[in-house]
Amino acid sequence: MTAVQKRIFINKLALVFSTLSAVIALAFLFWILGVLVMKGVSALNWNIFIYEGAPPGYAESGLKHALVGQLILVGMATGVGVPLGILAGTYLSEYGKNSKLANTIRDISDIMMSAPSIVIGAFVYAVVVIPMGHFSAWAGAIALAIMMMPIILRTTDDMLQLVPGTLREAAFALGAPKYKVIMDVVYRGAKAGILTGVLLGVARVAGETAPLLFTSFNDNFFTTDLNQAMPSLTVTMFNYATSPYEDWQQLGWAAAFILSMFILGLNILGRLILLTRKKGK
Amino acid sequence: MASIIDIKEECALHVRNFDFTYKGAEAPSLKKITMPIAKNSITALIGPSGCGKTTLLRSFNRMHDLYPGNKYEGEILFDGRNILDPKEDLIHLRTRIGMIFQKPTAFPMSIYDNVAYGMRLQGIKNKTELNDRVEKALKDAAIWKEVSDRLKHDANGLSGGQQQRLCIARAIAVEPEVLLFDEPTSALDPISTQGIEKLIIELKDRVSIIIVTHNMQQAARVSDYTGFMYLGDLIELGYTEELFVTPKEKLTQEYITGKFG
Amino acid sequence: MVDKLFQNLTRISAFLILLIVAWIFVVLFNQSTEAMQTFGLDFITKDEWAPNVDKFGAYAAIFGSVASTFLAMLLAIPVAIGVAIFLSEIAHDKIKGFFGVSVELLAAIPSVIYGMWGLFYFVPILRDLTGGMGIGLLAAGIVLSIMILPFMAAVTRDAMNTTPDILKESAYALGGTQWDVIKDVIIPYAKAGIIGSLILALGRAIGETMAVTFVMGNVHKVPTSILSPTTSIPVTLANEFTEADTSLYFSSLFGLALTLLIMSFVVIAIAKFYFLRKARRA
Repeated sequence: MTAVQKRIFINKLALVFSTLSAVIALAFLFWILGVLVMKGVSALNWNIFIYEGAPPGYAESGLKHALVGQLILVGMATGVGVPLGILAGTYLSEYGKNSKLANTIRDISDIMMSAPSIVIGAFVYAVVVIPMGHFSAWAGAIALAIMMMPIILRTTDDMLQLVPGTLREAAFALGAPKYKVIMDVVYRGAKAGILTGVLLGVARVAGETAPLLFTSFNDNFFTTDLNQAMPSLTVTMFNYATSPYEDWQQLGWAAAFILSMFILGLNILGRLILLTRKKGK
Repeated sequence: MASIIDIKEECALHVRNFDFTYKGAEAPSLKKITMPIAKNSITALIGPSGCGKTTLLRSFNRMHDLYPGNKYEGEILFDGRNILDPKEDLIHLRTRIGMIFQKPTAFPMSIYDNVAYGMRLQGIKNKTELNDRVEKALKDAAIWKEVSDRLKHDANGLSGGQQQRLCIARAIAVEPEVLLFDEPTSALDPISTQGIEKLIIELKDRVSIIIVTHNMQQAARVSDYTGFMYLGDLIELGYTEELFVTPKEKLTQEYITGKFG
Repeated sequence: MVDKLFQNLTRISAFLILLIVAWIFVVLFNQSTEAMQTFGLDFITKDEWAPNVDKFGAYAAIFGSVASTFLAMLLAIPVAIGVAIFLSEIAHDKIKGFFGVSVELLAAIPSVIYGMWGLFYFVPILRDLTGGMGIGLLAAGIVLSIMILPFMAAVTRDAMNTTPDILKESAYALGGTQWDVIKDVIIPYAKAGIIGSLILALGRAIGETMAVTFVMGNVHKVPTSILSPTTSIPVTLANEFTEADTSLYFSSLFGLALTLLIMSFVVIAIAKFYFLRKARRA
């Protein structure tokens, strides 16, 4: 074999190996996805949306409590985390710019984004649950908001920086004060990007179980009382899946399916928004 | 119609009725190009941007094959064979027809390893042979004096002009028969540009050179033949001194006098 | 007036991030002082975790975290690099788009689902193959590796895609094969970015709770074999936090949380500030 023939042979080998690893990886991932869809769809029925949790063996048991709880928790976290994240991102992009301070905040926030979520749960337990004396929806929402804020901050910062400086200058030249320029020109220019960031941030946080385990805890019954423990799809899924009862496990898969579809939907929507914006230009 | 001169010397390449169509495009980007490339001389390709000069250049070493879906029709004859043949051995072809790019493309490795890279690909392992040929290539590319004491240093530490000469050394180290230059000085300052132009002229004793340039003065300074392209057609190919002084085509005349461009 | 107000509002929000991070450290530190004062260094070097006699040594959990993460990286890295090469260099455009998006969407699937799949589908197979319980270090490592694979492959591909086309073309122009270009140009060029991405994935794996909590066993013992059930810091926290009944027990759990936070901070900081910053500069 000449050197060149040897190289061609190694090339083929390497390409086959890497294609093979892609096939193996995707096979595993589609296996998981397949299980999720098969188990989830077969467990779906209207009862899930009508009934709340019930002891194992009851036909009239569903996930209404967890669905509503999940929406409340994620909604509250979004209501707190998104405005704070956008404001903080605005500071970095429009006021702090490339100052040392702004860069430090960026770095810390980046690290924060990858911090173990269970640790944030422990922190919120110490500062909210212990003083209150019991688990609460507030605690769960705060934990999720803390996770969401750095994600929103980062995308807002990035997206605002993409707005061309000449646009700002043009608005300033008309005599607008800075906050007006930011509100009317910069935010408008970065609207699609920020919206995508918000959707991806919500999607990311909606799938979190660990920070809720000891903040909003869980409840098998429907509640809207924010001062009490509140069920969520993720924690319910965790509890039902680890239970020995088959009907609870079924509900666990249904919860997993509903939540995954919600998260995938948000992800796809976020991508579509960015895509249409790119095409529009 | 196009005015193509007859080249009396020996030719390195013959382009015949060559059409090139990019993936997904409706019309070909190069239309029925017929063009001889003289051996051991410099042929420059000029024309406004989008005229197809770079597309034509990248056909000579089948660079377009890296992006599937592009289509060649017609012939480019090299050493008696049509290199557009789908069965053509591209690895071998590309060691015989080398290329220099718009920007310096030093690989992320040492100066020495950059120059030795092509030879190592061909399986040359002998230390003394590698050393000798690296030194010779660097000398031929007029950069030996500047780098001989730091061959093991990262090539990205060199200046733009030095990097471009390093890339030329890397290309000539494998002793190709043809060298393709794709606007080789577009990213360089005037002094580095002068150095590269001088080097290109020196190289033509050993290789046949095709150079794409957006700079008419550069074409006039370095080349023996010049081809003027416009919208995918080769409008005129002639001796450089004739083409710039007495162009045969009206379009060429308008282009070189700056009526469009 | 409004202008100043708005500016201050944004500034306070930005500072809030710093405040929260500092606050987390302070709270975890305060909450774990009792354990640290009681056990000192023994807390991280001893592996006896016995709530019934109020003795807490975190060594087994720390070891389990490190070992399961190491195992996951060992399994995931070669496959992720293979997938990244496939996605950036081999696949045709259409396949590239489809698989590229699927990999990114899979990275968004909640990790608890990987854990459920592991418990119900993977552990039984592992049990049949290896004997024993199925649950343990190996199961945790494999499930974890599958969980981080999409993220790892996506970021590695992004790092590889930063290699300029012209640099790749130069290597092809010298007669290189695809593999020559990958190993001699793309990987060396994107090295810092690839390593940074891999470490970032490591940071995710080490703090991951839900994918492993079902399949690790929650047994406070340093594993004697790769098949032994064991525990990790997040698994211990998830299983025991709501059961802690003495203040020392609580304090020890906070000590675990602090240890985990420091571990992940260090790992992520190395990835971000050393490798990824270097990659951005290049």
